[in-house]
Amino acid sequence: MDLTFIFAQFLSGLTYGMVLFLVSAGLSLIFGVMNILNFAHATLWLMGAYFCYTFWNYLHQTLSIALWISIPLAGLVMALIGAFIEIVLIRRIYKRELYEQLLITYALTLILGDLIKIFWGVTDKLIERPEIIQKPVFIFGAPLDSYFIFVNLAGIFVAVALWCFLKFTRYGHIVKAAVYSREMVSALGIPIPKIYTMVFTLGIFIAGFAGGIQAPIGSVTLGMDMSIIIQAFCVVVIGGFGSLIGTFVGSLIVGEVYSFSILYWPDGAMVLIFVITAFILIVRPWGLFGTPTRM
Amino acid sequence: MQRRTFIVFFLIVMAVVLPLVVKEFWVHIFSEILIHALFALSFNLIFGYMGQLSFGHAAYYGIGAYTTGLLMVKANLPLFVCLPISMITAGIAATILGYFCVRLRGIYFAILTMAFGQLVYYIIFQWYSFTGGDNGLQGINPPEILMKAQNYYYFVLVVFIIAGYILYRIGESPFGYTLRAIRDNAERTEFIGINVQRYMHMNFIIAGMFAGLAGALWGPFIRSVAPDLCNWHHSGIPVFMTILGGPFYFFGPLVGSIIYTFLMAIVTGYTEYWPLVSGTIIILVVLSLPSGFLGVADNVIKKLFVRGN
Repeated sequence: MDLTFIFAQFLSGLTYGMVLFLVSAGLSLIFGVMNILNFAHATLWLMGAYFCYTFWNYLHQTLSIALWISIPLAGLVMALIGAFIEIVLIRRIYKRELYEQLLITYALTLILGDLIKIFWGVTDKLIERPEIIQKPVFIFGAPLDSYFIFVNLAGIFVAVALWCFLKFTRYGHIVKAAVYSREMVSALGIPIPKIYTMVFTLGIFIAGFAGGIQAPIGSVTLGMDMSIIIQAFCVVVIGGFGSLIGTFVGSLIVGEVYSFSILYWPDGAMVLIFVITAFILIVRPWGLFGTPTRM
Repeated sequence: MQRRTFIVFFLIVMAVVLPLVVKEFWVHIFSEILIHALFALSFNLIFGYMGQLSFGHAAYYGIGAYTTGLLMVKANLPLFVCLPISMITAGIAATILGYFCVRLRGIYFAILTMAFGQLVYYIIFQWYSFTGGDNGLQGINPPEILMKAQNYYYFVLVVFIIAGYILYRIGESPFGYTLRAIRDNAERTEFIGINVQRYMHMNFIIAGMFAGLAGALWGPFIRSVAPDLCNWHHSGIPVFMTILGGPFYFFGPLVGSIIYTFLMAIVTGYTEYWPLVSGTIIILVVLSLPSGFLGVADNVIKKLFVRGN
């Protein structure tokens, strides 16, 4: 086993980790601020991928940059849908019990999954990639799908943008404060419902954007959301709910573990990830970078 | 007290008589109701009595189903022997996994049970040579005498009544009341000298065993098992049934199962979009009937009673 091969494996793990990060970032943000575990997050992500396909389908004959427009458009449409869901549904369950919140978002996965089936049918959707990302590139002799460079850049961009948002803007500070103490934030006269709507919309925007990025990787198929939501949960548990850096590190851990264990024990890749997740939950339930105050 | 005895008696008579007069399709639905209800009753030991939400209960159900399936297909053991063995294997799994789960509370409990549930699902899904992977196991035929839908239904009914009675007794025993104390305030329960974790662990094992029994009844009922039985989506079903029926009533999960299974049987006759319908129902129930169907019925009866006086 030579270095090039290991490097290639590392790159594929990195890319997978970035995909996971893009899915989990919004999930972690929403849980950190609103304390709501959104089962439907990956279903919304998948919907973003379908929207990306639809936009591309309309645009690609007239525009050469159709794909690059479709991806952010998918994010924007999903942001609208996210805001709608928050205002109509999630707002009613802030003060409810944990199980009621979980059941509501579980119900959302059922409903949205069927809506996807109704609107887009059961056939797989394939986006033809533009020429620039059709051929692999070689990095130190290791082949890499050229689109994966874009996936990695997009992941890093979202991470940096979120970090800057949390670090330098007024709203970012409010969101960070709300992760620690919602009562204090509302006592300072900040309208919590407005912040919640904003956070949920932002989270779903990232999910939709991530779905758009996912769409050209392979074909878009029904049921993709079911397996990735569990992995996103693992990421968020490992990194710590509500921690951006934790989610980023957690994604890379899961991506790399998956990528390397598939070499030696293909059937056990997912099993290993669950074992790591369970281990973290038992010894450090708040995750690697989380804060224990929420226990 | 007497009213309750009367209701139970009435339910049993209905359960015995109804299948004699309806079509075979509905007999199948009745069996399904009872199996789901047993699954949900076992779930409610953890949820209603102990106050923790398990989102991986399908794992024990699936282990029970696979134990019976494998023993019947590969070892040709009779069904009556498989049922207790299934309870034991599901119990062993619950002993090991529950040991870790009961250290956590609230959302972390829910996520860990879910992660373990998925662990079981992936093991069954990937282990082709043993479990048949995503093909599942086919040809799980019940003994000759139970091949008829009605006979299998009565068999399920007998198992259900016995298991339900045991679960009821557990719920009304000092053990059951200790669980309620843990649910209401785990810290104080610890202070009066009760080993909270041990009680929770024992309860987790019992719940796992009865979920295994329900799973064991499922395989011979539809003649096959599939790994989807353990998936987290399947774990949502007992949660929904229990909340639909009313988590703080012993019969809540049964009522939830009756409503859910009937609705599913009717709706799937018209449309393939059952998830859309059931998701909508879940949202409506959670938003408008938080105490479940029995909670509402209880309130109505109380109001009528007060007005009558």
